Amino acid sequence: MTGRVIVITSGKGGVGKTTTSANIGTALAKAGQKVVLIDTDIGLRNLDLLLGLENRIVYTIIDVVEERCKLKQALVKDKKNPNLCLLAAAQTRDKSSINQEQLKSICDELKEENDFIIVDCPAGIEQGFQNAVAGATEAIVVTTPEMSAVRDADRIIGLLEAKEEIESYKLLLNRVRPKLVQSNDMMSVDDVVDILSCSLIGIIPEDVGVITSTNKGEPIVNDEKSLAGQAYQNVAKRIMGEEVDFLDIDEPKGFVAKIKKFFAGLFGKEQKA
Amino acid sequence: MNKGFVEDGFIIDLGNAKDASEIIYELSNILEIPEARNKKICLKLGEIDLSQSQLLSIKSLINSMVSELAFVDTNSEQTELSALNLGIIVSELSNEIEVETPEINAEDFEIKETEVGEPKDGLSYELIEQEADEEEKIEVVEKTEEEIEAEGKLEELIDEENEQLSEKEIAQHEISKLPTLYLQQTLRSGQTMSYDGNIVLVGDAHPGSEIIAKGDITVWGVLGGIAHAGARGNDWAKIRALKVNAIQLRISGFYARRPDSMNIPFIQRSSEFTPEEARVENREIVIYKMSE
Repeated sequence: MTGRVIVITSGKGGVGKTTTSANIGTALAKAGQKVVLIDTDIGLRNLDLLLGLENRIVYTIIDVVEERCKLKQALVKDKKNPNLCLLAAAQTRDKSSINQEQLKSICDELKEENDFIIVDCPAGIEQGFQNAVAGATEAIVVTTPEMSAVRDADRIIGLLEAKEEIESYKLLLNRVRPKLVQSNDMMSVDDVVDILSCSLIGIIPEDVGVITSTNKGEPIVNDEKSLAGQAYQNVAKRIMGEEVDFLDIDEPKGFVAKIKKFFAGLFGKEQKA
Repeated sequence: MNKGFVEDGFIIDLGNAKDASEIIYELSNILEIPEARNKKICLKLGEIDLSQSQLLSIKSLINSMVSELAFVDTNSEQTELSALNLGIIVSELSNEIEVETPEINAEDFEIKETEVGEPKDGLSYELIEQEADEEEKIEVVEKTEEEIEAEGKLEELIDEENEQLSEKEIAQHEISKLPTLYLQQTLRSGQTMSYDGNIVLVGDAHPGSEIIAKGDITVWGVLGGIAHAGARGNDWAKIRALKVNAIQLRISGFYARRPDSMNIPFIQRSSEFTPEEARVENREIVIYKMSE
């Protein structure tokens, strides 16, 4: 079996690449696929935190590259899901410690025994990005509906288009706030897709639960009630080839919902964002 | 392609050859010259009859010398049939128009990622400030086609009277003689397209992209980035687009920026296209609607 190597990139920092990698990886593993997550943000690693595996890291990708250990020794199994493994980045080095060929050969080696290799790309367009993209054949471009993020995503898509190895790239729109879209304060999904001319693989609504999930080290896909978690599950299904409708993340506009809100306000309850 | 004009072209006239073997012999000699390599070859074959297999071996010979057979010019029906069967274009080379192969660096028409604002090699465009301090896009002046045509004719008459080619005519003539780069793609942010000639882009130019041309720039789509026409100092170059939403327009040494009130950056796409043309008039950049 040859696995699929997918790189999660964005250009802009802080739009949700690492969160997306952790959640998509977890969702795919839950569905029974063999997944390896690779953190290529050498020096500023975060993927291990999001998965709650920080304490279990003995060997990192730099140890593999500098031949202090075998690749298998550096793979850390997930706490809950044995299908999921993490190849962590080194915190004590930086992005010049690894080059494109090395990362490509690691991806090639992992491809043979796993279904999916998800590569978490660092922000930027320099060495870190070039490294992460080296072994991949597919890409998911993550962006938020803000002009700066969209502009950077456009740059990244231009760079991906120029690479022959990347056969396809899809857009993931993160941190969408339907209320702001309705009041015309935020770009709509259609605006972003129009500007970037890129097909959509997922729309993830803004969810406060993501913050706590990061702090606890438990990806939000594990929370069945959260909307963002469900959206990530759908993205994983689409990656596996299933056709899934996009979630309706708009605020309920019906009469009953309005009454509910009115009473909630009367009793001073906290309203969900 | 009626008149047989290709950029990077190389005409080989073998009309006097007596048969296919002579053609192949001559061709292999000619293709040894470095100038003939990596070019689009236009073969003039005159009256010679060539069968399909003969034409195929000629084509393979050209390909082996790292060149490409662009088209053949032949008076023979059999050769024409062979060419059509092989998928080779048959066209007429008009002897009046000389196919100029201008000196162009391969780098000049490669899409490069350069920082926006860095002067390209050889194309230093100094932004000459105008006498007036602030440069804003002038309100769009609506002119009908007849008015524009009439103006042109008037100028022609005046110039004919003077019997001298005005500076403007020379410059405009120069633009029409330049080779043209034809692209069918979208320029994304960070991509630069620069060329020593005219540029036709069938697609959009996203904000953050740059188009730099020695001649005219025509965008069959939304122009959102920076466009610099007449970059080597031709004041009569023009910039056209189906929708001009450019961050900056530059023609020769003049520049104009998108007014701040129009800064609706994320409403680039529109189902309504308004074809417009920008040119320099009275030392300012003015945009005209190409109304029907």
